[in-house]
Amino acid sequence: MSDKGQDVDLTRAKQNTGVWLVKVPKYLSQQWEKASGRGEVGKLKIGKAQGKTAVSFSLNEELTVVQCSGEKVSSVRSPREHPFTIQTVGGQSLAVFTETSDKLALEGMVVQRAECRPAVSESYMKLKKLQIEESTKPLRFSQKLEKAVTTNYKPVSNHSHNVEYEKRKKEEGKRARADKQKVLEMLFSAFEKHQYYNIRDLVDITKQPVIYLKEILREIGVYNSRGPHKSTWELKPEYRHYEEGQEDEEEKME
Amino acid sequence: MSALQEQRKCSVVRMQCACSYSCMFSQVINGTSCSAVMTSLGSSSSSATEYVVRVPKNTSKKYNIMAFNAGDKVSCSTWTQARMERDMSNRRIYGEEETPDGAAGSEFGKKQREEARRKKYGIVTKEFKVEDQPWILKVNGKAGRRFKGLKKGGVTENASYYIFTQCADGAFEAFPVHSWYNFTPQAKHRTLTAEEAEEEWGRRNKVVNHFSIMLQRRLRQQEQGEEEEEEGEKGGKKKKKKGGRGGDLRIHDLEDDLEMSSDESDGSNGDDDEAKSKAKQDKGPKGKGKKKKKKKGSDLEGFEDSDDGDFEGLEVDYMSDESSSEEEEPEKPKPSKGEDVPKGIDEMSESEEESEEENKNEEDGKEEEEEEDGKKTPVQVEKKKKKDSSGESDSSEDSDIEGEAASALFMKKRTPPKRGGVRGSAGSSRTGSRPGTPSIDSAATSNTLRAAANKLEQGKRQTTVPSSETPATKRLKMEPSPQSSSGKSTPQPVSGKSTPSSSDVLLTEDAVRRYLIRKPMTTKDLLKKFQTKRTGLSSEQTVNVLAQILKRLNPERKNINDKMHFYLTE
Repeated sequence: MSDKGQDVDLTRAKQNTGVWLVKVPKYLSQQWEKASGRGEVGKLKIGKAQGKTAVSFSLNEELTVVQCSGEKVSSVRSPREHPFTIQTVGGQSLAVFTETSDKLALEGMVVQRAECRPAVSESYMKLKKLQIEESTKPLRFSQKLEKAVTTNYKPVSNHSHNVEYEKRKKEEGKRARADKQKVLEMLFSAFEKHQYYNIRDLVDITKQPVIYLKEILREIGVYNSRGPHKSTWELKPEYRHYEEGQEDEEEKME
Repeated sequence: MSALQEQRKCSVVRMQCACSYSCMFSQVINGTSCSAVMTSLGSSSSSATEYVVRVPKNTSKKYNIMAFNAGDKVSCSTWTQARMERDMSNRRIYGEEETPDGAAGSEFGKKQREEARRKKYGIVTKEFKVEDQPWILKVNGKAGRRFKGLKKGGVTENASYYIFTQCADGAFEAFPVHSWYNFTPQAKHRTLTAEEAEEEWGRRNKVVNHFSIMLQRRLRQQEQGEEEEEEGEKGGKKKKKKGGRGGDLRIHDLEDDLEMSSDESDGSNGDDDEAKSKAKQDKGPKGKGKKKKKKKGSDLEGFEDSDDGDFEGLEVDYMSDESSSEEEEPEKPKPSKGEDVPKGIDEMSESEEESEEENKNEEDGKEEEEEEDGKKTPVQVEKKKKKDSSGESDSSEDSDIEGEAASALFMKKRTPPKRGGVRGSAGSSRTGSRPGTPSIDSAATSNTLRAAANKLEQGKRQTTVPSSETPATKRLKMEPSPQSSSGKSTPQPVSGKSTPSSSDVLLTEDAVRRYLIRKPMTTKDLLKKFQTKRTGLSSEQTVNVLAQILKRLNPERKNINDKMHFYLTE
């Protein structure tokens, strides 16, 4: 079983690279996805204030434009400053591994956890209000129509579907009895693909009238009236060669 | 900026970073990256460094989190080699791949029909998504640890996690976390299943030697393996191994390793034997495994409570006599070896079980005697035993044979239910006859005392009563013993006219006469009047007794509605 596994690339893990795991609010990650170019989204400020490390992220100007649905103009802008709250990795040891379509690699261990919070401001409040409004809208709503709908269910003399069907039937005509040998060939090739067949399906495949087909079937096949494959036809045991090739089938034919 | 100024800034930053940042930062800062990206702020009190944050666009790599519990002490740096793959064992639950596709056994259009049928009934089957399957991580090859990583749901729903790594140029790159897997180490040693663990927990006060727990489990598994011998090679392998070991205490490390490499499940058996051989060194008895059949499984299956009267009119099976006596002798010597305390008691309880066939009554009688002696034990044990006896009588007739192959090591607490079960399965038609003995309700004795008493009885047992006793007398035998000791109820005559000690209705001549005087009744009606539940007799007994009474009374007959009615005129 271990043969099926993929080797995990441990080269980067060996370098003891530490990474940070940061929890980012949804709206911010949406803004980040809109970044252009090399993907610069902002700046991270790491400083020391009163003995504690303070980390803060500031979003680039162009990314603060929030796209909102509906008619509202984007008067709302997302906040720019986001202080990070640093947390310890404590009760868990977290590692990061990457998965590409063919490879697995261990990237490193998480050394710090952080949460990116927006600096609370007017604009943030407005943004939140917008989000709440959107989320409280029901997915389905009733709407009054001005005019009654008349496009469905018009009375027709004959439905298009029916017309096609009748035309098709006329063209096909009644099924003619083909040569017995040919029918047998068709049957055998069909039974090679599957073991059990419904009489309807066989009629479709061979395009023979039912009575004629049944006669032939009675000769070479047997009808299962009970059991898991109910009401199906299958070949008689002496005609069955499911592991062997086609030559035997032809031998068996009359 | 002059070089000097830059240098100063670098040193300032270096000082900052030295304190509490992660190793990553200190690496970077001490390196060359002081130049490009750092822009210091004006104020000197909080000197900060700025780094550009980038979110790369080309996302062919998916980042995932591998979470380990801190208690597992996992350190990725110690890994020399790691292999990881998806655990596909859930696939068969989802995929319904029983019908072969094409050629033999398949039906034309089967798939479409099945799909249409499912749609019609609205059956929504959950798809098997490879993405959501757990990971299996193997570290450091065969001898290393194994972990299973389960996907944690809901991680990306409300907030996104990003991994910030620092690049060579000092900028940060943020990658979104695709999914989170919690990895837990997988035990390589053998463990008990939940049922077994619960049993052992119940016995924890009594079991002194804990090594025996796993040993017995292995023995049991060996039996199971032997039973499937004819079909599978796995069983064959086991047998071969067993033959090889015989009674020797050899540790076959190499063999076990070979086994483990062949197949996972075999590997677990390899573990079995390795540990078993070690345990054997501790304990002793081996060959027992041979006799121990898979009785546990069958016994466990039939465990259910039954109501009174559920098993009325059950066929009585008296055939298991021979088998029990066969098993007895070989069993006997085996229990003699082994540990002291638990063993001794086990031995006794084992020998109890061996000759269970004729004993049910004696055992019951004994228990009641012991009860009278005033030992207290949990009521449930006794009650459960009783219940099991009636429950088990249904479970399987063949379990009586298996039941006899009890091992000495089988737990004490198991013996009561098992004994009860075996008794039941031997087909006692002691059905609704719980009645009699209020003493039963007052709880069973402690195992040791009962075992001791049983041992005393053993001598009697071998030569006792053939199981072809009639139910009536069987039960009567049971009844007199408590009564003799407790004197609670009147002694019962061994005649057809048995009077149960506590019941609402008595099947007496007087009662029948009263009914027949009042109005004509058919035999069926009369039987209905004397329900087995209320008289405490079995249906056979009732019939016999009633027949005798009628013979004595000699009532007049009349045909009413084509049915023969009896009546008396007095």
